[in-house]
Amino acid sequence: MSTYTEKIREISQRLLKECKVEMVIGFRQGTLPMMNEPCIVRKPEEVERLVWDSNCGINLANYLTNRKEKIGVVAKGCDSRNIVTHILENKIKREQLVIIGVPCQGMIDKRKIAAGVQGEILSVAEADGEVTVQTAAGAQTFKKAEVLQQNCSVCTHRNPVIHDEMVAEPVAEQTGVDPYADVAAIEAMSAEERWKFFEELLAPCIRCYACRNACPLCYCPTCFVDESKPQWVGKGQDPIDVRTFHFLRAYHCAGRCTDCGACERACPVGINMRLLTKKLNKDCLALYGWEAGLAEDKRPALDTYKANDPENFIH
Amino acid sequence: MSEWEPKIVSFLCNWCSYGAADLAGVSRMEYPPNVRVVRIPCTGRMSPKFALAALREGADAVWVSG
Amino acid sequence: MKNLLELMGIEADRIHFSWISSAESTKFVKVVNEITAKVKALGPNQRFVKQAAKVA
Repeated sequence: MSTYTEKIREISQRLLKECKVEMVIGFRQGTLPMMNEPCIVRKPEEVERLVWDSNCGINLANYLTNRKEKIGVVAKGCDSRNIVTHILENKIKREQLVIIGVPCQGMIDKRKIAAGVQGEILSVAEADGEVTVQTAAGAQTFKKAEVLQQNCSVCTHRNPVIHDEMVAEPVAEQTGVDPYADVAAIEAMSAEERWKFFEELLAPCIRCYACRNACPLCYCPTCFVDESKPQWVGKGQDPIDVRTFHFLRAYHCAGRCTDCGACERACPVGINMRLLTKKLNKDCLALYGWEAGLAEDKRPALDTYKANDPENFIH
Repeated sequence: MSEWEPKIVSFLCNWCSYGAADLAGVSRMEYPPNVRVVRIPCTGRMSPKFALAALREGADAVWVSG
Repeated sequence: MKNLLELMGIEADRIHFSWISSAESTKFVKVVNEITAKVKALGPNQRFVKQAAKVA
């Protein structure tokens, strides 16, 4: 992993020195363990701030929206797919970007680590597929595969789909994983059970909109939840309003979501709202053979018409 | 209220189903009074917000027709 | 749209889509009849209705 950091710094320095880009967006060490933050570097001598490890789960495509500068951006598989989506939606131009591709082997779920140790986490280090967590009580080691974010453990697009530079050779993609097993489990329930399931799932939501803000797809100038004339959805914690919010948020991501997991990662109460977006991803794949952000020259499923589009839901 | 009657909020396209509804009326056809028609300029104006808002405010079903 | 509502536990027959030309008044009447019958069979909508009084 440290070779990734070296390589990212080296490429960033070169790009900045040669004035190929005005800034590089990457990650820097967070003030707390496992909380790496997005970081914008504008000067070649500042590249030492950039780092890379398995705590870079935030989606950097979110920081590109409507930018006018020439930007170098560090991108793992899911970020690169979101960058493609951004390009398709005219939120950034391909010519503006130098994409520094990072083959990704999954990001650590900090909640899984926190649940596994006692007391405050002082530092986290990783080597050879193992994660060592230092607490006041002592050190504890986890297998990285066991503490991955759920979306990373079923990810089938680990390598960037577009890139100008690569920091390492592509990693092997996972095969034999079923990304939609959890959605299928819910589909198998009765309407009654499903209603209850989501009631419990969404009950802790405090409507902080962290999931919306972390999402690279949510760039509307005024979000529907902030509109007051007309007011589409109440602002309180009424269960129906919460459900409406999550439903519409997921729906706005239909055919665009790359399951990067930024929403779930950002959620302060740990709601797995990805189940909703994933259901739409699953349907998009089944109905239109579409997965978001895989090619720059294909229009998204929901803005193309094909004569054989499914229409069995219409009377 | 002796017997429950469903309220069906219907979003009808001005040029298609709204026209059909108009024609049905002009032709003196009979149909159940449970549909509450909202005329939209085109089915493209439809948004999931509308459907959810209707259900939230107590509609028993939503019908979108182009 | 329908699929996700169903996933959340709304009954399938609570939302309908159809395609009727402006000349098809007979189809209009037919569809209204069908939908009304289906919704009647379902009974009143208990879910997704906001219970508290809404401040407009």
